[in-house]
Amino acid sequence: MEYALECIDVHKSFGRHQIHKGINLKVVKGAITYIIGPSGTGKSVLLKQLCGLMPPTKGRVIVNGKDLTSLNRNELVNMRKKFGILFQNAALFDSMNVFQNVAFPLVEHSKMSKDEIAKTVTEKLRLVGMKDVEDKMPSELSGGMRKRVGLDRAIALNPDIILYDEPTTGLDPIMCDVVDTLIHDTQKQLGVTSIVISHDIESTLKIADYIAMLYDGKVVLYGTPEDFKNTDNPYVKQFFSASKEGPISII
Amino acid sequence: MIRLLNFLGDHFIGIINTSGSMTLMFLDSLRLMFVRPFRVKLLFKQIEFIGVNSLTVIILTGSFTGMVFAFQSYIGFQKFGAEQIVGTVVALGMARELGPVLSAIMVAARAGSAMTAEIGTMKVTEQVDALNALGVDPVQYLFVPRILAGFIVMPMLNAIAVFCGIVGGFVVSITVLGINKTLYLEYMFQFIELGDFINGMVKAFVFGGIVTLVGCYKGYMTTGGAEGVGKSTTESVVMASVMILVFDYVLTAFMF
Ligand SMILES: Nc1ncnc2c1ncn2[C@@H]1O[C@H](COP(=O)(O)OP(=O)(O)O)[C@@H](O)[C@H]1O
Ligand SMILES: [Mg+2]
Repeated sequence: MEYALECIDVHKSFGRHQIHKGINLKVVKGAITYIIGPSGTGKSVLLKQLCGLMPPTKGRVIVNGKDLTSLNRNELVNMRKKFGILFQNAALFDSMNVFQNVAFPLVEHSKMSKDEIAKTVTEKLRLVGMKDVEDKMPSELSGGMRKRVGLDRAIALNPDIILYDEPTTGLDPIMCDVVDTLIHDTQKQLGVTSIVISHDIESTLKIADYIAMLYDGKVVLYGTPEDFKNTDNPYVKQFFSASKEGPISII
Repeated sequence: MIRLLNFLGDHFIGIINTSGSMTLMFLDSLRLMFVRPFRVKLLFKQIEFIGVNSLTVIILTGSFTGMVFAFQSYIGFQKFGAEQIVGTVVALGMARELGPVLSAIMVAARAGSAMTAEIGTMKVTEQVDALNALGVDPVQYLFVPRILAGFIVMPMLNAIAVFCGIVGGFVVSITVLGINKTLYLEYMFQFIELGDFINGMVKAFVFGGIVTLVGCYKGYMTTGGAEGVGKSTTESVVMASVMILVFDYVLTAFMF
């Protein structure tokens, strides 16, 4: 099996606060890998380390055979063009309107003409079910709309690896399904590698090729949805049954 | 006692640390000024931003400082009958010292703080990460246009402050203090040199870099949500003001 991305013994601390205590994870190329786990376990922090936005305190992250921690800033900036990232709260540029946000990567990195960019942006927005919002500012959008715009911006440059940070959190059930389908289709059409952070167990089991569950700074279980359905792992069982009884402590 | 030493030591290390990383950021920005893409549009936006934000306040501070300065120096010079020299003193003081320092502190308070708030908000809402993720160097995108704009706009604002100060001093001297107009102007033009203005312009240029660098740096280093943005913004103004005064001394000593 070919891997797009590997974490080797990744440790991360903020001051004395230890977030990751040795994460080992191999992300299969061209597949959808879900990372699940309770809030505050450091899923977002892991995502940022995967694309070199944050250096691990210890350990290595390998992308396409290159160790991210050994790259200089220029190489990192270039490497990141291979990634499309949807941030947890979309992180739209709030000084720009929707059109400028989605067009941003195209303006920066493609050789498209103004007309082509305009056409592409409208097309992409339609793809996520949005129309006539080009002139709106991010502050005028609902959380779900912002997420969809953020998704468009993330995939505008046809990246090899797409990272989604809780793409469906805060969306209504119908929009959830739209986004799930979008993740699925994007992966099938473009053959990209997708890494999705999620709380949504139903869509995780439906769409994921592989799942990794994170708890207390480590991967407690990695496997296919089948493995997860049949496991005896108490952490997974508690998380899946949405119960407060179990080994996962609620602080 | 040991706690005090500890505190001082930590503080000292903190200052060294900040100066170091700020210097690195500055050198990086300087280098990136010459690397494509050149963001001309952003540069003009920042020039406008700093200019528009600061113009009124600079005209006001400039004029009133010149007016007060005329009053105060009149009190001194009147004692040995040298009132007509007030014009020279006001012009010299404004051009070499008060113009650049006051306008820089005003720009720090108006535009520098706003820069910190803007970039700080971008930092805590992951927009800076998003820039990075989209293959755009945030230092080049955020720092370079602002610092360049600072270098360009600050001398212009200084010129306006100096001009307003001299005019303010003149008006007060003639109308309120009743100094002889012809003598006032004669002395002023006789004793003031182009070098005095250039001296002030060099300062303004440097201060423009300081204010914008601090504004960007403090914003970029922001952590901890909305509260963190507020904290950085205050710190930005304080730090820029202190640095302006320190560099003012250094520059004055150098160019004496
Ligand atoms: N830049 C940072 N500085 C300090 N602590 C951070 C930073 N980013 C995240 N954390 C901490 O790391 C922990 C994990 O955060 P996060 O990855 O956002 O969790 P989640 O799994 O919900 O996405 C939290 O306790 C958070 O406070
Ligand atoms: Mg998160």
